[in-house]
Amino acid sequence: MKRRWAMVIDMDLCTGCGACVAACVAENNTPTVGESEAGKGRLMQWIRVVRYFRKEEHDETRAIFVATPCMHCEKAPCEIVCPVYATYHDEDDHVNAMVYNRCIGTRYCGNNCPYSVRVFNWWDYKREKPLDEQLNPDLTVRSRGVMEKCSYCIQRIRRGKETALSEGRPIRDGEVLPACAQTCPPGAIRFGDLDDPESAVSRMMKDPRRFRLMEHLGTEPSTVYLKKMRAPGR
Amino acid sequence: MAGEPRVVIGLFNGVEKAAQAAHALRSLPLPEENVTTISSVPLPDGAVTRDRRPIRFPWIVVVFWLAGALGGLALTLVTYQVYPMITAGKPINTVPPAIIVSFEGGMFAALIATLVFGFRSIGLGPFRSGRKVFDRRIHEGRIALCARVDTGDQERLAIDAMTASGGEAVRAEEGEL
Amino acid sequence: MKGENHLSRLDESKLYDELSRSNLPATKRWYAGTGALLLVVLASVAAFVYMMFTGLGVTGLNRPVMWGVMIILFVFWVGLSHSGTLISAILRITRATWRAPVLRGAEAMTALALMVGGLYPLMHLGRNWRFYYILPYPSARQLWPNFRSPLLWDAVAITTYLTGSLLFLYFGMIPDLAIARDRAAGWRKKLYTFLAAGFRGTHEEWRRYHVASTLFAVIIIPVAVSVHSIVSWDFAMAMVPMWHSTIFAPYFVAGAIYSGIAGVISVMVILRKAFRLEKVLTPDHFDNLGKLLLTFTLVWGYFYFSDYLTAWYSRFPEDWEVIRSYSGHYLPLFSLLVACNFLIPFPMLCLKRVRQSIPAMFAVSLVVNVGMFTERVLIVVPSLARRNDPSIWGSYFPTWVEISFIVGSIAMFALIYVIFSKLFPVVAISDVKEQLFHTTDRTIGGANLSTVVSGEGKEEGRET
Repeated sequence: MKRRWAMVIDMDLCTGCGACVAACVAENNTPTVGESEAGKGRLMQWIRVVRYFRKEEHDETRAIFVATPCMHCEKAPCEIVCPVYATYHDEDDHVNAMVYNRCIGTRYCGNNCPYSVRVFNWWDYKREKPLDEQLNPDLTVRSRGVMEKCSYCIQRIRRGKETALSEGRPIRDGEVLPACAQTCPPGAIRFGDLDDPESAVSRMMKDPRRFRLMEHLGTEPSTVYLKKMRAPGR
Repeated sequence: MAGEPRVVIGLFNGVEKAAQAAHALRSLPLPEENVTTISSVPLPDGAVTRDRRPIRFPWIVVVFWLAGALGGLALTLVTYQVYPMITAGKPINTVPPAIIVSFEGGMFAALIATLVFGFRSIGLGPFRSGRKVFDRRIHEGRIALCARVDTGDQERLAIDAMTASGGEAVRAEEGEL
Repeated sequence: MKGENHLSRLDESKLYDELSRSNLPATKRWYAGTGALLLVVLASVAAFVYMMFTGLGVTGLNRPVMWGVMIILFVFWVGLSHSGTLISAILRITRATWRAPVLRGAEAMTALALMVGGLYPLMHLGRNWRFYYILPYPSARQLWPNFRSPLLWDAVAITTYLTGSLLFLYFGMIPDLAIARDRAAGWRKKLYTFLAAGFRGTHEEWRRYHVASTLFAVIIIPVAVSVHSIVSWDFAMAMVPMWHSTIFAPYFVAGAIYSGIAGVISVMVILRKAFRLEKVLTPDHFDNLGKLLLTFTLVWGYFYFSDYLTAWYSRFPEDWEVIRSYSGHYLPLFSLLVACNFLIPFPMLCLKRVRQSIPAMFAVSLVVNVGMFTERVLIVVPSLARRNDPSIWGSYFPTWVEISFIVGSIAMFALIYVIFSKLFPVVAISDVKEQLFHTTDRTIGGANLSTVVSGEGKEEGRET
């Protein structure tokens, strides 16, 4: 069954707590790189919470948090530049798929992503005992030299589809959630199937607050945002 | 045996003497295509001898260019058909990349064809046939004049004509031009 | 002496001895120098093997600057390889009278620089040992490569150009190999006999040889233009500010030819000194090369200014941030670029005194290549460091591994060139002889001038 997965991030609700980042790291076997590597710009987290400060006259400084996972663009610029088809657009789920064991590490996709959501395995990251017992068996641990990125927790999507198929029923809205959506305390991250007209994301897509990051680039992301509204005095 | 082709070869100091000798050989008469020079610098056509055989191999190179271009086109378009993967929402059969790869494929084929058919046209490498006459002293600045003659009278006349025009080491050898 | 061509005044064996000095048996000094170069290359290879086994983390690369010194070296060396194509092919076709002594050195530069440059796309891969995924072969994964990717066009183009330039170099050497064959002994004779493929020098052979040489030159020029255009499209196809520019293809080709001419000048100066070729490589040759270099200083400056002007004027936010960094964090590099690529070469090359002075030309050519290397750095790094999303702006500085690659690439090029010049004639002796053969003296009034034949000659055998 074909689905069109999408994610809606409501910036009104996002508090910038970073629980989504921690959940993603736990779910997807993301290595922890350490302070000095992080300082060099080599963080491996698939989702990042960007913090922008805004100071207006006669007002206190405010922060805006933009949680930035992979946009899963319909016209993903990362897909077309990979010389070996290690990343392509999955037509069954309408997500941007990443195939680790095909990747030869040219990093062109990382350069071509305008959102810079792709990360590269610069080393073979070691996990000291007992941290290796924390690994999720549902997906691989990537070797050095391959690119990786947020996959909308494709392992959970597959598990959800298998369960629904075996039980002979359609997937319920909210049954399949990536780790970030599952964990977000204020519920700012919503995930679902756009092809289902009753799903939460289908309704939220019609919200006039909806915008896409760097919309002028024409990448048609599946991850959309709902603009933060500021009432007077808020 | 009389009538078997041999080559008369002689060395000359300078283009003028060689041209004189070639003229004498042509008046023997010896057909133009049976006389040639061996020199370490290329002589202008008509200076001593003239080569009238047409050079056709560039056309073969053009054919190979087209074949290579078609090969490149096939490679891209077949790849797109057999392994259709959607990337960036672009159409499966993208034309500009096919043009680029076809162009390079054509050039690649043309380069290889120029080497192979150039060798064939010149008679180098694997396309060499028969024992070819040669004299190492051309690298000292001499010009060797060679004429394919029948043994007997023609050979003697050729040797005489060359010696009369100032040729050195004029002799007859077994071999081909 | 009037009317007698210049070649007939010389003893051709002596001329050959003079021009083929590089082929004399190797001395201890040669072995020492070559050994030193080999050591540097091996150190660089060791650094690469270390990188391959440890991971690309040993470089200075990060997010967002995922391409660094290795890609810079790739573009630089492929650019340098445009030297031979321009000088050899175009000068052959236009029958420039001063081309003869420069041809071989330039053609060798093309092939050898390409060999060095072509390594870097393989070296910068995260999983180098899987590079063969780029080749279309029946695999168990049932996948062929993605021809929409500029990196695939790179693979096709570099293969074609490398093959073409090696064939061009070899084919151009055949008459010289024939001379070498006839004068050598021992293993060298066997080598030259095989390579000369039985070339003798008959009139028919020469005519066909000229047609084939010209055909090679005619084919290799579009290939060279396409190769560096395709290399530029690695950048231009990307959604990175200041990369996504339509001018990249002609700009890169012009830059490559610019850097190539400078490279040829540097190499010619070294060859002239090392093999005592003062009589063949005269200040007039460097004068002409200098005029070519001046032309390309202007062409490069024109393209660079056009590219900069459009981005600067429209102030598209993404491009503007990169340009702002040129006067900010990258100001030292940008100043070096403008100085070395334009401010220094342009006035100097305008002066005939500079162009005819060989030490000055050597200095200018080195300055130009430093400038061109800086230009590659400024193309790759600031655009990535100041790209679309400001939240991950970063910076880049090469580590010892990448510096060893820079040094190693120069050493590798020098090493292959030294070995090449030892084995093969480094001056196009047949072309020099042909040039001398076509040159005679003529008295016009009170002046004695040397004139050169042009054209093929008419039916009656009169030279025009």
